[in-house]
Amino acid sequence: MTIYWVIAYFLVLALTLIYKTPVVRGPWLFLLRSFFPNWKFFHAVGYVPHLYARSATTQANGELVWIEWAHLYPRTQQNLWQIFHNTETNLGLAQQNLIDHFWADLNDLPEGSDPRNLVSFKMVAHFVDGVLKDRYPEHTHKQFELRMLLDSTTETVHTHVMMTSPVEPR
Amino acid sequence: MMLDWSTPYILNMEMAIRAMELLFALSAGIQTLEYLRMQPAMQKDGMWIWSIQRQDIPSPWMRQLLDTLFTPKLFSILLSARLLALISLVTHGSNLLSIGFLFASNIAILIRWRGAFNGGSDFMTLVVLTGLFMAQIVSYFSDPELGWRAGFWYITLQSISSYFLSGSVKLLRPEWRNGSAMTIFLNSAIHGPLSAGHWLRKPWLAALGAWAFILWECAAPLALLDARLALIFCKIAALFHFLVFWYFGLNRFFWAWLATFPAIVWCAGQI
Repeated sequence: MTIYWVIAYFLVLALTLIYKTPVVRGPWLFLLRSFFPNWKFFHAVGYVPHLYARSATTQANGELVWIEWAHLYPRTQQNLWQIFHNTETNLGLAQQNLIDHFWADLNDLPEGSDPRNLVSFKMVAHFVDGVLKDRYPEHTHKQFELRMLLDSTTETVHTHVMMTSPVEPR
Repeated sequence: MMLDWSTPYILNMEMAIRAMELLFALSAGIQTLEYLRMQPAMQKDGMWIWSIQRQDIPSPWMRQLLDTLFTPKLFSILLSARLLALISLVTHGSNLLSIGFLFASNIAILIRWRGAFNGGSDFMTLVVLTGLFMAQIVSYFSDPELGWRAGFWYITLQSISSYFLSGSVKLLRPEWRNGSAMTIFLNSAIHGPLSAGHWLRKPWLAALGAWAFILWECAAPLALLDARLALIFCKIAALFHFLVFWYFGLNRFFWAWLATFPAIVWCAGQI
């Protein structure tokens, strides 16, 4: 008898791949989303959000001198020991997850809304502050950008800017 | 080792329970120790400071409660208490109190990381914890065997679904069927990009690898037909998760899924 229940379960599961159901949203649902697992890992290739940031120093005449945009994308080295302890890589993955959420929040934002009110915007801005303070201790101003990158198997084939933050003093 | 296919194979329930408790304790222990080391990222210039994240919490009273719980000192105590509960799981086995605490503290940790720290591994960790909690609640109020049966089936269905769904959605995507998705994801992975001469840059090898994983994942429900098949499936799954760890850095996925294997083998013996 059990086998029929199991077969029925996987048939229903297969049907959910074809029939889409409406997405239910809410602040608590977002925070407790681990109770509703989504097992569709790495399924679609497309534009991926990437964070870029730059800093400027103020000259004596008041002019801002900007450095090149820095790509803030986590990269770490492989190591077998990391199967037991992998703090740096996991923090890097969490950082990129936050960038994905930031992109999703921007996407869902009603027309005319200020993205600076988003928690994800504030977290990204705070992260950029920390990175720039560490890399360029003398900087006076900062700015960051969310760019969408489309990759092929060999290179990035298209990029567009989704959002550029206002220039803000440190 | 040769498997004997002539006699029915059933994994003993006590053995399955013990194996799952040990594997889960290892998985959650690794996560908890990592959280303890990550605390600088949750303070001052770190990305995950609570003073910003608290704005996610919709109700004022809950925000106040979490403000207290998520002070660096209390959060460290919470993580340390989790380690003690996991040690007790190893030495004394599961009970309602320790599993109830691990379940509640897991929810608190997930909220601290905006609902999920690492996505899939958080989902699967919660699945195993929910199964363990279910087993403890039913055992407390009714029959322990019924409780464990419910817990094992819940974990098994979620675990097998994870492979089945993950494989099926890839099967529906042309970029997975031609292998290009695998190369693109590996290039953008945290350990990427692939070196210029890497074997997965060869389109036909990438396509072969992609099809091997897709077919194996889609066939996951067949593992439930026999406990020996489930054992073979779990060995391949362990290799698969190791490769995911090696290329994508996802060590938590390896342990979180490994903790579900005793339930899968046990359930496969019940059909």
